[in-house]
Amino acid sequence: MDADADTGPAAARPAAPLQEEEPQTPLQQMMRHWVNERHAPDILPAQEGLMMGLLDHLRRQTRSVQVLRDDPTSSESEHIRIHLVQTEIERVRFVIRSYVRTRLYKIEKYARYITSNAEIQTRLTASERDYASKHARLTDQHLYLSVLQSLPPAQAHLDDTAVFSPSMVTVPDKTRPIFVHALQDCPPVRLPDGATLEMKKGHISLTPYHVVEQLLERGEVELV
Amino acid sequence: MALPVHLRDSVTPQELEMIACQQLIEIVPLIAMEKTAFISGAYGPLRPPSKAKLPLWMAVNLKLKKKCHIIAPDWLNVEHLQDRLAQEVAKPDAFSDLPFRFSEISKVLLDVASDDLENPDQLRSLLKDLREARQAKSREGLKHLDHSELGLTGLSSMEINEIRPFFVQSMNVLTKIARSSET
Repeated sequence: MDADADTGPAAARPAAPLQEEEPQTPLQQMMRHWVNERHAPDILPAQEGLMMGLLDHLRRQTRSVQVLRDDPTSSESEHIRIHLVQTEIERVRFVIRSYVRTRLYKIEKYARYITSNAEIQTRLTASERDYASKHARLTDQHLYLSVLQSLPPAQAHLDDTAVFSPSMVTVPDKTRPIFVHALQDCPPVRLPDGATLEMKKGHISLTPYHVVEQLLERGEVELV
Repeated sequence: MALPVHLRDSVTPQELEMIACQQLIEIVPLIAMEKTAFISGAYGPLRPPSKAKLPLWMAVNLKLKKKCHIIAPDWLNVEHLQDRLAQEVAKPDAFSDLPFRFSEISKVLLDVASDDLENPDQLRSLLKDLREARQAKSREGLKHLDHSELGLTGLSSMEINEIRPFFVQSMNVLTKIARSSET
């Protein structure tokens, strides 16, 4: 979120006290991935290493809070310090929890698609892949037992591709518009109407997701 | 369900406020505190009366306990905002230059630290005027909406969140129309 306070071309604006400096801390990166994940219609590459690092850090902080709290000689300012550390732990937990839940929501939604698509599987962690296939198997079984088994065999499929009806497998809608914020000058991208768009640093646009998909993967833009 | 329905298409203003509260702000502490390692970085030491830089949420936390004064960021004063408002009116096609999360930060500061700000009431009314002037412009942008791209540089995060549902849905409809006229 470093460029947040600096969205316009006139960088001379006196907003310096609220600007965060590079390089980004793990928490800042995590928050950016969290917001991206919330806005993107597709599942973004998993940030397993980053998340594990933060979870480790959380455990360490929790432990040191425990040690400090057990010390009866602590002063009032010590209490405030402990309180601040604990508040931060809760804030970080909130972000990680929301990030994981957002991914779970998408995994449940696209479970059947994930099991049949190798590319999207590379963006999931091992346990997420496992969860997706279990979820797909369970819903399939449920649909079969409750309805499909009593239908004629020709209509008992879950993946018919009839000509004029929408596909039976939910796939990510990459044409969904998203608000994108350029973190640096970006190479030109092609828009659906054939024109090209070259975003300068700080540029904000509303555009379909597939237009900026690659820029997002390279971290040149963020979703807002 | 893994994610409640109201969180699926957008983030909430509360979440935006939470993100904005990660930004650093200057305070004058009223208590001493050793340098402490937080997950977001090391802050402190606090030595009254010298200034220190903390994330906004920490400053708010201390402020609520009356353990610090918050120093307003230099864009949050009557003079600066009046200047922005004048620009906003003078230039009908561009948004004046304000920090991306100005609306969250100014709300938090006006809520918990209005006694540290000069003329809080005037600030409130200026922010409201700014908001109205900018809102009129972003709605004007709807006229230029098509199925491929709409530039909104200068819009702030809260304003984006406000127009998101309607703009996204409109663009979705335009995409469908464009697709069906192709075939």
